[in-house]
Amino acid sequence: MPTIRIPGALRALTANTADVEVDAATVRAALAALDRRHPGIAAKLLDDDAVKPFIRIYVGPEDIGALEGLDTPVGARDEISIIPAIAGG
Amino acid sequence: MKATVVGAGGLGGPLALALGAAGFELRIVDPDVVEDSNLHRQIQFAPADLGQPKAPLLAAAVVRRGGVAKGYRMRWTAEDADDLSGDSDVIVEGSDDPETKFAVADWAVAAGTPYVIGAALRYGGNAMVGAPGASCYRCLFEEPSPAATCAAAGVLGPVVGAIGGVAAALAIGLARGDRRYAGSIFVFDDLRRHAAPRIVRYARRADCPACARRKVA
Repeated sequence: MPTIRIPGALRALTANTADVEVDAATVRAALAALDRRHPGIAAKLLDDDAVKPFIRIYVGPEDIGALEGLDTPVGARDEISIIPAIAGG
Repeated sequence: MKATVVGAGGLGGPLALALGAAGFELRIVDPDVVEDSNLHRQIQFAPADLGQPKAPLLAAAVVRRGGVAKGYRMRWTAEDADDLSGDSDVIVEGSDDPETKFAVADWAVAAGTPYVIGAALRYGGNAMVGAPGASCYRCLFEEPSPAATCAAAGVLGPVVGAIGGVAAALAIGLARGDRRYAGSIFVFDDLRRHAAPRIVRYARRADCPACARRKVA
């Protein structure tokens, strides 16, 4: 199953879980599955049907914006990375 | 060589000390004073510094180590940028303010100045590398976020030292003409688990307003 890597800034929403395996065939389905397991996290990533402008989502090394967006297919060995803008310093 | 360090806190401390020791003439910019809650991570300061402005204190620490630095107790803004940073070979941002990160990046893109944007939170952080001609910070994150800050979400003390050190090394490389990481972001998800970063190279956005204002050589 694809794995979603949760960034530190969002782990308060996943009970500090860093990696979440989901049964999904697209990024959209993966995020929906993540939200079912950890309610509320999708609202931090998406506005309606679009990725928020201060969030980037990658499948492997590729930005989904350069692929098929939320419809980008994911396979069993794929890793979905979420990179949010953070501000601490 | 000259560098501007924006932020004199958790990231700004190691940044300034490293760049000062490397021979950069520094301008350090930060509007804040030292607070008790800073001391666990801003180890350039001591309890005796509480209530004192950070930028001059950090500049003095650089000078005590033989470096050249001047501290400015003010917020870095685009309005003052040409005077403060116009002659810098590199500008490094390590504040905890999302708006300032974008302001520094946008100015640097327009001015053609190499830059590094650092951030740290909880157990990880990132450092983004920018240089003329490369995709920029606004190509990556389109607008300032309501992102959590260290003050709100906390940060493990040593994390800022690690991220600040990486940002300083990247800044030194940029100032010396090494552009191999321009348009990339070094992501440290959790330094307790993985010391190595993921280095993500990202593309320029065709509609990026900051790139549209970039200086044409």
